[in-house]
Amino acid sequence: MKKWYNILAILLTMVIVVGIVATGCAKTGPPQPTGPIIIKLGASVPFSGPAAPWQLAGDPPWKEFLKMFNEEGFQVNGKTYNFESIEVDDQNTPEGGTAAAKQLIFGDGCKFIAGHWTWNFPAVAAVTNPAKVILMTRTGNEAVPASWGGLYDPQTMPYVVFGNPSHEQFTSDCLAIVDAYPNYQRLGIMDSTQGMGAGWAKVDSDLDKAGVRYHHEWFPPGTTDFTPFISRYKDAGCDIVYVAGWISETWALAKQRWQMGLKDMKVGHSGPFVDIGMYKAIVGADAAQGMIGQYWANWDFKKTKVNPKYVAMCQQVQQNIFAETGKFPYTGWIGWGPSHLLILVQAMQKAGTVDDTDAIMQAIRGGTFDTTTGTWTMSGAQTYGSPIVFGTPSALCTIQGDKEVYLSEHPMQPLP
Amino acid sequence: MPPAEILIDGLVQSCIYITMAFGMVLVFSILGILNWTHGQFYMLGAFVVYYSITAAGIPFPLSLLISGIIIGALGMLVERFVIERLNAPGYGMMYVSVATLALIFFFEGAAGMAFGLMDKGLATVLPGVLNLGSFSVSYQKIAVIIFTLVVMIIMYVVLNRTKVGLAIRAAAQESVAASLYGISVKRVSLLVMGIGCALAAMAGAIMAPVYTINPFMGRIPMIFSLLAIIIGGLGSLTGAIVGGIILGFLNSVIAYYVSYLSEFVLFMLVIIILLVRPQGLFGAPIK
Repeated sequence: MKKWYNILAILLTMVIVVGIVATGCAKTGPPQPTGPIIIKLGASVPFSGPAAPWQLAGDPPWKEFLKMFNEEGFQVNGKTYNFESIEVDDQNTPEGGTAAAKQLIFGDGCKFIAGHWTWNFPAVAAVTNPAKVILMTRTGNEAVPASWGGLYDPQTMPYVVFGNPSHEQFTSDCLAIVDAYPNYQRLGIMDSTQGMGAGWAKVDSDLDKAGVRYHHEWFPPGTTDFTPFISRYKDAGCDIVYVAGWISETWALAKQRWQMGLKDMKVGHSGPFVDIGMYKAIVGADAAQGMIGQYWANWDFKKTKVNPKYVAMCQQVQQNIFAETGKFPYTGWIGWGPSHLLILVQAMQKAGTVDDTDAIMQAIRGGTFDTTTGTWTMSGAQTYGSPIVFGTPSALCTIQGDKEVYLSEHPMQPLP
Repeated sequence: MPPAEILIDGLVQSCIYITMAFGMVLVFSILGILNWTHGQFYMLGAFVVYYSITAAGIPFPLSLLISGIIIGALGMLVERFVIERLNAPGYGMMYVSVATLALIFFFEGAAGMAFGLMDKGLATVLPGVLNLGSFSVSYQKIAVIIFTLVVMIIMYVVLNRTKVGLAIRAAAQESVAASLYGISVKRVSLLVMGIGCALAAMAGAIMAPVYTINPFMGRIPMIFSLLAIIIGGLGSLTGAIVGGIILGFLNSVIAYYVSYLSEFVLFMLVIIILLVRPQGLFGAPIK
């Protein structure tokens, strides 16, 4: 019996020794990764609600771009990295934004949220900042209703980056329209009362300084009948109206001005055209002609230089999507996800880390980045309290037949 | 004096509110309930006409009728399986109100899933503009005005010159007495719900080429129609028409003069009207 006890004791000792040795080996010699290291890139974006048309249209080309980007990957400290995009619907509501940010950060473990562009930025930022997660979004926060979370604050939101200017782009868009139509009589500007605030006051002030003749109208949210507003524009002598609202309002205005016989009144909007066919079906084939929209086809930019490598990538994406669907996607995607991603990558490379968001933010502030929308230096130290606002080409196009045709361009000046 | 295009716009707005409010009042007169889902029948009517034209290639006037028939039948189903069961002893008005409120979100959600959330349009229906010198009117808006006139004439004839109309009026005035004379109030209720919902659907259908179509398009017309019948006097068909006209014109004219403050001014006026005359313009005095 004693003999069996001895054998058992020896066997147990052997198992323990082998276990300790194996564990030690594991600690000292980890297996080398066979492929690129994956970084999770969160996206809190509107797949539902009034902003959904733009998001839905831009999603397939953005994913195609990311696939192409990942084929090469990017290097930091000699290691190769790839991004994995994780998207959550934020419905463009504050509640949706908060829930999406929590899911991305605490559920999926994202340290970066990029490609964000809707109005719920303060709600998203309220979750990302305490978690030290970098949020790449756009300005326009001055227009965010106070009930949605208030204004940008460099002290409480140190991890927010404005990869796109918004109200600054409204100003540049208006200037691009004036450049395109120098004989205009008066430019009408229109937004929902939700957008009233400091942002628009700044746009108005900048347009005043530039000597632009304009007339501003606001409409209550939910308006479908724009006839009274169109009459007011007509009375004010406006021959062009720029809508800084949702796509439905532009459709309604463009259609109703045509129904009123005001065929010479041009209509534009602050977003890119989602689908020309949709505009023709809803507004009317004739009424849609000449409509003005933002234009992100970087291969057509006349005043903004874009790295040929990125131009080629964007064109390849367009071709790939065309090959899959038989339709070229809208170009709006070029100005958001890819641009945010490239800012982030270059900041990581400058900072020499993919984990330390403080170091990455330090590289972003005042940094110069080469993206799909050109090379811009982060500005806005005085205006926003931190140099974290990227630039924009503010290129425009018009609908001619079934196509978008380049109209004009007014690259944004760096902010003080 | 506001410009002619604003007056025409006011007339078009009035037409929608009149048609919708008329249906709401009919239902209220017989069933004694405010159907909160009325705006969603308006929305569904627009979708029916959209798909009738774009998917089946059915001409617009026929699509209008189809929209009224289909949504009228849907309204009857709602009456039979929801309203009638909850408007019974032991339940009552509150239950019906909650049920029809719930149906708002049900129908909007269902429409969103079935038809998508993206706006749709019928710009190809009755395109063109009639030039009248200093102003122009689209054929689509002219169609709305003509349609409303025709519907109102038909409703007048049905209610005043037919046996069905007599039964509806009798049931509206005194349902117990009407049933003693052999009128099936249950059947009349079903019919009236069908007519009310068909009117809402056809209002949505005739407006489909003028505005854009989406699952949420019924909310604002519903609120304004409700206001129209409150201003006109709850239960009064004449009041629904007059309330609709007042509200339609006020909405356009006030927006023209005060821009984005229009809703504030408009609803303030509505409150003043109700404070001065709580029963509405054509309603019976409140005791």
